[in-house]
Amino acid sequence: MNTDLKDILSNSNKDIDNQKLMDYLTNELSKSASHEVEENMADDDFLNDAVEGLQEIKSTKNMEAYVEQLNLDLQKQTAKNKKRKEKRRFKDQPYTYLTIAILLILIIICFVVIKKHLDAKRVTNPPVAENTRKPNLD
Amino acid sequence: MNTEKYKHIEDNQLLEKFYADKDNEWLGILLQRYTLLLLGVCMKYLKNEEEAKDCVQQVFLKAITELHKYKVDYFKSWLYMVAKNHCLMKLRGKGKQPTEINERLLATPDDVEDKKRHLEKDSTLNNMEIALQQLNPEQLQCVTLFYLEKKSYQEISQDTSFSLLQIKSHIQNGKRNLKIMLDRLNKNEH
Repeated sequence: MNTDLKDILSNSNKDIDNQKLMDYLTNELSKSASHEVEENMADDDFLNDAVEGLQEIKSTKNMEAYVEQLNLDLQKQTAKNKKRKEKRRFKDQPYTYLTIAILLILIIICFVVIKKHLDAKRVTNPPVAENTRKPNLD
Repeated sequence: MNTEKYKHIEDNQLLEKFYADKDNEWLGILLQRYTLLLLGVCMKYLKNEEEAKDCVQQVFLKAITELHKYKVDYFKSWLYMVAKNHCLMKLRGKGKQPTEINERLLATPDDVEDKKRHLEKDSTLNNMEIALQQLNPEQLQCVTLFYLEKKSYQEISQDTSFSLLQIKSHIQNGKRNLKIMLDRLNKNEH
Protein backbone atom coordinates (compact mmCIF):
# COMPACT_ATOMS: atom_id res chain seq x y z
CA MET A 1 0.00 0.00 0.00
CA ASN A 2 2.87 2.33 0.82
CA THR A 3 4.10 2.52 -2.75
CA ASP A 4 0.58 3.12 -4.04
CA LEU A 5 0.23 6.03 -1.67
CA LYS A 6 2.93 7.77 -3.66
CA ASP A 7 0.67 7.65 -6.72
CA ILE A 8 -1.70 10.08 -5.10
CA LEU A 9 0.84 12.86 -5.09
CA SER A 10 2.93 11.94 -8.09
CA ASN A 11 1.97 14.01 -11.09
CA SER A 12 1.55 11.97 -14.22
CA ASN A 13 2.93 14.64 -16.47
CA LYS A 14 2.82 12.50 -19.55
CA ASP A 15 0.65 14.20 -22.14
CA ILE A 16 -2.15 12.09 -23.48
CA ASP A 17 -2.14 12.04 -27.27
CA ASN A 18 -5.27 12.89 -29.21
CA GLN A 19 -5.85 9.36 -30.47
CA LYS A 20 -5.77 7.95 -26.96
CA LEU A 21 -8.16 10.62 -25.82
CA MET A 22 -10.54 9.83 -28.69
CA ASP A 23 -10.34 6.13 -27.78
CA TYR A 24 -11.09 6.97 -24.17
CA LEU A 25 -14.12 8.99 -25.21
CA THR A 26 -15.42 6.11 -27.32
CA ASN A 27 -14.68 3.54 -24.58
CA GLU A 28 -12.17 1.72 -26.73
CA LEU A 29 -9.36 1.69 -24.20
CA SER A 30 -8.38 -1.15 -21.89
CA LYS A 31 -9.09 -0.84 -18.18
CA SER A 32 -5.53 0.15 -17.32
CA ALA A 33 -5.24 2.61 -20.20
CA SER A 34 -8.54 4.24 -19.17
CA HIS A 35 -7.24 4.51 -15.64
CA GLU A 36 -4.09 6.17 -16.93
CA VAL A 37 -6.16 8.79 -18.79
CA GLU A 38 -8.23 9.37 -15.67
CA GLU A 39 -5.13 9.76 -13.53
CA ASN A 40 -3.96 12.42 -15.95
CA MET A 41 -7.35 14.07 -15.73
CA ALA A 42 -7.08 14.25 -11.95
CA ASP A 43 -3.72 16.04 -12.32
CA ASP A 44 -4.50 18.21 -15.30
CA ASP A 45 -7.40 20.66 -15.21
CA PHE A 46 -7.00 21.37 -18.93
CA LEU A 47 -7.49 17.70 -19.81
CA ASN A 48 -10.27 17.31 -17.27
CA ASP A 49 -12.27 20.27 -18.62
CA ALA A 50 -11.63 19.12 -22.18
CA VAL A 51 -12.96 15.60 -21.51
CA GLU A 52 -16.04 17.01 -19.80
CA GLY A 53 -16.69 19.23 -22.83
CA LEU A 54 -15.94 16.61 -25.44
CA GLN A 55 -18.35 14.19 -23.77
CA GLU A 56 -21.08 16.70 -24.60
CA ILE A 57 -20.42 16.57 -28.34
CA LYS A 58 -23.09 14.40 -29.90
CA SER A 59 -20.99 12.21 -32.15
CA THR A 60 -17.33 11.34 -32.42
CA LYS A 61 -17.54 11.86 -36.19
CA ASN A 62 -18.56 15.47 -35.58
CA MET A 63 -15.66 15.85 -33.18
CA GLU A 64 -13.14 14.54 -35.70
CA ALA A 65 -14.60 16.74 -38.46
CA TYR A 66 -14.42 19.84 -36.26
CA VAL A 67 -10.81 19.15 -35.32
CA GLU A 68 -9.85 18.56 -38.96
CA GLN A 69 -11.58 21.77 -40.07
CA LEU A 70 -10.01 23.80 -37.27
CA ASN A 71 -6.54 22.44 -38.08
CA LEU A 72 -6.99 23.28 -41.77
CA ASP A 73 -8.05 26.83 -40.93
CA LEU A 74 -5.10 27.16 -38.57
CA GLN A 75 -2.71 25.96 -41.28
CA LYS A 76 -4.16 28.51 -43.70
CA GLN A 77 -3.86 31.22 -41.09
CA THR A 78 -0.23 30.52 -40.27
CA ALA A 79 0.69 30.01 -43.96
CA LYS A 80 -1.01 33.31 -44.89
CA ASN A 81 1.05 35.14 -42.32
CA LYS A 82 4.18 33.43 -43.62
CA LYS A 83 3.40 34.41 -47.23
CA ARG A 84 2.74 37.97 -46.15
CA LYS A 85 6.06 37.98 -44.32
CA GLU A 86 7.90 36.60 -47.35
CA LYS A 87 6.20 39.11 -49.64
CA ARG A 88 7.26 41.85 -47.32
CA ARG A 89 10.80 40.51 -47.42
CA PHE A 90 10.81 40.58 -51.24
CA LYS A 91 9.19 43.98 -51.26
CA ASP A 92 11.82 45.31 -48.91
CA GLN A 93 14.68 44.08 -51.04
CA PRO A 94 14.14 46.36 -54.12
CA TYR A 95 14.68 49.36 -51.87
CA THR A 96 18.11 48.06 -51.00
CA TYR A 97 18.92 47.52 -54.67
CA LEU A 98 17.49 50.93 -55.57
CA THR A 99 19.62 52.62 -52.94
CA ILE A 100 22.76 50.89 -54.23
CA ALA A 101 21.88 51.86 -57.84
CA ILE A 102 21.27 55.50 -56.87
CA LEU A 103 24.60 55.59 -55.02
CA LEU A 104 26.40 54.14 -58.06
CA ILE A 105 24.74 56.67 -60.40
CA LEU A 106 25.71 59.49 -58.04
CA ILE A 107 29.34 58.30 -58.00
CA ILE A 108 29.38 58.13 -61.84
CA ILE A 109 27.83 61.60 -62.12
CA CYS A 110 30.38 62.99 -59.67
CA PHE A 111 33.18 61.35 -61.65
CA VAL A 112 31.91 62.81 -64.95
CA VAL A 113 31.38 66.29 -63.46
CA ILE A 114 34.83 66.36 -61.87
CA LYS A 115 36.45 65.07 -65.08
CA LYS A 116 34.68 67.71 -67.20
CA HIS A 117 35.66 70.38 -64.75
CA LEU A 118 39.30 69.31 -64.90
CA ASP A 119 39.20 69.16 -68.75
CA ALA A 120 37.73 72.64 -68.93
CA LYS A 121 40.49 73.93 -66.69
CA ARG A 122 43.10 72.35 -68.94
CA VAL A 123 41.59 74.11 -72.04
CA THR A 124 41.49 77.58 -70.51
CA ASN A 125 44.98 77.27 -68.99
CA PRO A 126 46.98 75.20 -71.51
CA PRO A 127 50.44 74.08 -70.43
CA VAL A 128 52.95 76.81 -71.49
CA ALA A 129 56.37 75.22 -71.11
CA GLU A 130 56.73 73.72 -74.66
CA ASN A 131 55.20 76.71 -76.61
CA THR A 132 57.43 79.31 -75.03
CA ARG A 133 60.67 77.51 -75.95
CA LYS A 134 62.50 79.37 -78.75
CA PRO A 135 63.25 77.31 -81.88
CA ASN A 136 66.87 76.51 -82.42
CA LEU A 137 67.88 78.31 -85.65
CA ASP A 138 71.33 76.85 -85.92
CA MET B 1 1.96 20.95 -42.93
CA ASN B 2 3.29 17.60 -41.85
CA THR B 3 2.95 17.57 -38.07
CA GLU B 4 4.13 13.95 -37.73
CA LYS B 5 7.74 14.84 -38.38
CA TYR B 6 7.65 17.35 -35.53
CA LYS B 7 6.11 14.87 -33.10
CA HIS B 8 9.39 14.34 -31.24
CA ILE B 9 9.87 18.06 -30.63
CA GLU B 10 8.70 19.27 -27.22
CA ASP B 11 6.33 22.21 -26.88
CA ASN B 12 8.96 24.51 -25.40
CA GLN B 13 11.41 23.64 -28.19
CA LEU B 14 8.80 24.62 -30.78
CA LEU B 15 8.23 27.84 -28.88
CA GLU B 16 11.97 28.52 -28.86
CA LYS B 17 12.07 27.97 -32.61
CA PHE B 18 9.22 30.43 -33.00
CA TYR B 19 10.92 33.04 -30.83
CA ALA B 20 14.11 32.59 -32.86
CA ASP B 21 12.65 33.25 -36.31
CA LYS B 22 9.10 34.49 -35.58
CA ASP B 23 7.75 32.04 -38.10
CA ASN B 24 4.08 31.37 -37.36
CA GLU B 25 4.37 27.91 -38.84
CA TRP B 26 5.91 26.74 -35.55
CA LEU B 27 2.90 28.07 -33.70
CA GLY B 28 0.66 26.26 -36.15
CA ILE B 29 2.34 22.96 -35.32
CA LEU B 30 2.20 23.69 -31.61
CA LEU B 31 -1.41 24.82 -31.50
CA GLN B 32 -2.59 21.85 -33.55
CA ARG B 33 -1.54 19.61 -30.67
CA TYR B 34 -4.18 21.26 -28.54
CA THR B 35 -7.08 21.61 -30.99
CA LEU B 36 -9.02 18.72 -29.46
CA LEU B 37 -8.43 19.85 -25.90
CA LEU B 38 -9.38 23.43 -26.76
CA LEU B 39 -12.54 22.24 -28.47
CA GLY B 40 -13.41 20.32 -25.31
CA VAL B 41 -12.77 23.28 -23.01
CA CYS B 42 -14.82 25.65 -25.20
CA MET B 43 -17.59 23.06 -25.41
CA LYS B 44 -17.62 22.65 -21.65
CA TYR B 45 -18.27 26.33 -21.10
CA LEU B 46 -20.33 27.30 -24.14
CA LYS B 47 -22.42 24.11 -24.49
CA ASN B 48 -22.83 24.65 -28.22
CA GLU B 49 -20.80 22.91 -30.90
CA GLU B 50 -20.75 25.76 -33.44
CA GLU B 51 -19.93 28.37 -30.82
CA ALA B 52 -17.21 26.16 -29.40
CA LYS B 53 -15.68 25.79 -32.87
CA ASP B 54 -15.68 29.56 -33.43
CA CYS B 55 -14.27 30.05 -29.96
CA VAL B 56 -11.32 27.73 -30.70
CA GLN B 57 -10.53 29.78 -33.83
CA GLN B 58 -10.60 32.96 -31.77
CA VAL B 59 -8.33 31.38 -29.16
CA PHE B 60 -5.89 30.40 -31.94
CA LEU B 61 -5.86 33.98 -33.23
CA LYS B 62 -5.45 35.39 -29.75
CA ALA B 63 -2.61 32.98 -28.97
CA ILE B 64 -0.78 33.85 -32.20
CA THR B 65 -1.13 37.58 -31.54
CA GLU B 66 -0.14 37.38 -27.89
CA LEU B 67 2.85 35.13 -28.45
CA HIS B 68 4.32 37.78 -30.74
CA LYS B 69 4.10 40.28 -27.88
CA TYR B 70 5.64 38.41 -24.96
CA LYS B 71 7.47 35.27 -23.96
CA VAL B 72 5.55 32.37 -22.52
CA ASP B 73 7.30 29.75 -20.40
CA TYR B 74 4.58 27.19 -19.67
CA PHE B 75 2.72 27.01 -22.93
CA LYS B 76 0.10 24.42 -21.98
CA SER B 77 -1.08 26.15 -18.79
CA TRP B 78 -0.95 29.50 -20.55
CA LEU B 79 -3.08 28.27 -23.45
CA TYR B 80 -5.58 26.76 -21.03
CA MET B 81 -5.82 30.07 -19.22
CA VAL B 82 -6.31 31.97 -22.50
CA ALA B 83 -9.06 29.56 -23.61
CA LYS B 84 -10.82 29.55 -20.27
CA ASN B 85 -10.73 33.33 -19.93
CA HIS B 86 -12.00 33.73 -23.48
CA CYS B 87 -14.95 31.41 -22.77
CA LEU B 88 -15.75 33.17 -19.49
CA MET B 89 -15.62 36.53 -21.27
CA LYS B 90 -18.04 35.23 -23.90
CA LEU B 91 -20.39 33.97 -21.21
CA ARG B 92 -20.22 37.29 -19.42
CA GLY B 93 -21.00 39.05 -22.71
CA LYS B 94 -24.06 36.87 -23.05
CA GLY B 95 -25.14 37.73 -19.53
CA LYS B 96 -24.62 34.16 -18.32
CA GLN B 97 -22.75 33.59 -15.13
CA PRO B 98 -19.62 31.47 -15.43
CA THR B 99 -20.33 28.00 -14.11
CA GLU B 100 -17.05 27.60 -12.30
CA ILE B 101 -14.96 29.58 -9.87
CA ASN B 102 -11.68 30.77 -11.29
CA GLU B 103 -9.67 29.25 -8.46
CA ARG B 104 -8.24 26.36 -10.44
CA LEU B 105 -6.54 28.80 -12.83
CA LEU B 106 -4.01 29.28 -10.11
CA ALA B 107 -2.66 25.79 -10.63
CA THR B 108 0.77 26.42 -12.05
CA PRO B 109 3.84 24.26 -12.42
CA ASP B 110 4.72 25.34 -8.88
CA ASP B 111 2.09 22.87 -7.83
CA VAL B 112 4.14 20.12 -9.42
CA GLU B 113 7.24 21.27 -7.60
CA ASP B 114 5.37 21.17 -4.30
CA LYS B 115 4.30 17.61 -4.93
CA LYS B 116 7.83 16.58 -5.87
CA ARG B 117 9.09 18.11 -2.67
CA HIS B 118 6.59 16.06 -0.68
CA LEU B 119 7.52 12.86 -2.47
CA GLU B 120 11.19 13.29 -1.74
CA LYS B 121 10.64 13.15 2.00
CA ASP B 122 10.74 9.75 3.65
CA SER B 123 8.32 10.75 6.35
CA THR B 124 5.76 11.70 3.73
CA LEU B 125 4.39 8.18 3.38
CA ASN B 126 3.68 7.91 7.11
CA ASN B 127 2.13 11.35 7.11
CA MET B 128 0.12 10.42 4.07
CA GLU B 129 -1.52 7.53 5.91
CA ILE B 130 -2.40 9.89 8.74
CA ALA B 131 -3.69 12.55 6.35
CA LEU B 132 -5.72 10.06 4.38
CA GLN B 133 -7.70 9.13 7.48
CA GLN B 134 -8.56 12.79 8.02
CA LEU B 135 -10.34 13.14 4.67
CA ASN B 136 -14.12 13.18 4.70
CA PRO B 137 -15.69 9.75 4.00
CA GLU B 138 -16.62 10.55 0.38
CA GLN B 139 -13.16 11.83 -0.51
CA LEU B 140 -11.47 8.97 1.30
CA GLN B 141 -13.61 6.42 -0.52
CA CYS B 142 -13.01 7.93 -3.98
CA VAL B 143 -9.27 8.52 -3.47
CA THR B 144 -8.76 4.98 -2.15
CA LEU B 145 -10.75 3.33 -4.93
CA PHE B 146 -9.07 5.43 -7.64
CA TYR B 147 -5.43 5.52 -6.55
CA LEU B 148 -5.02 2.46 -4.38
CA GLU B 149 -7.43 0.04 -6.01
CA LYS B 150 -6.84 1.50 -9.51
CA LYS B 151 -10.52 1.59 -10.36
CA SER B 152 -11.83 3.73 -13.21
CA TYR B 153 -14.40 6.49 -12.73
CA GLN B 154 -17.03 4.21 -14.23
CA GLU B 155 -16.26 1.39 -11.81
CA ILE B 156 -16.23 3.74 -8.84
CA SER B 157 -19.58 5.06 -9.97
CA GLN B 158 -20.95 1.51 -10.08
CA ASP B 159 -19.50 0.66 -6.64
CA THR B 160 -20.77 3.84 -5.02
CA SER B 161 -23.81 6.00 -5.54
CA PHE B 162 -21.74 8.92 -6.85
CA SER B 163 -22.05 10.42 -10.34
CA LEU B 164 -18.93 10.77 -12.52
CA LEU B 165 -18.76 14.50 -11.79
CA GLN B 166 -19.00 13.91 -8.05
CA ILE B 167 -16.23 11.31 -8.25
CA LYS B 168 -13.92 13.69 -10.11
CA SER B 169 -14.67 16.42 -7.64
CA HIS B 170 -14.08 14.15 -4.59
CA ILE B 171 -10.76 12.97 -6.05
CA GLN B 172 -9.56 16.47 -6.87
CA ASN B 173 -10.67 17.95 -3.57
CA GLY B 174 -9.27 14.95 -1.73
CA LYS B 175 -5.88 15.43 -3.37
CA ARG B 176 -5.89 19.12 -2.56
CA ASN B 177 -6.80 18.45 1.07
CA LEU B 178 -4.13 15.77 1.35
CA LYS B 179 -1.54 18.25 0.14
CA ILE B 180 -2.65 20.86 2.67
CA MET B 181 -2.60 18.32 5.50
CA LEU B 182 0.84 17.04 4.46
CA ASP B 183 2.16 20.61 4.44
CA ARG B 184 0.81 21.05 7.95
CA LEU B 185 2.23 17.72 9.21
CA ASN B 186 5.63 18.40 7.64
CA LYS B 187 5.74 21.86 9.24
CA ASN B 188 4.94 20.35 12.65
CA GLU B 189 7.89 17.97 12.27
CA HIS B 190 10.36 20.87 12.02
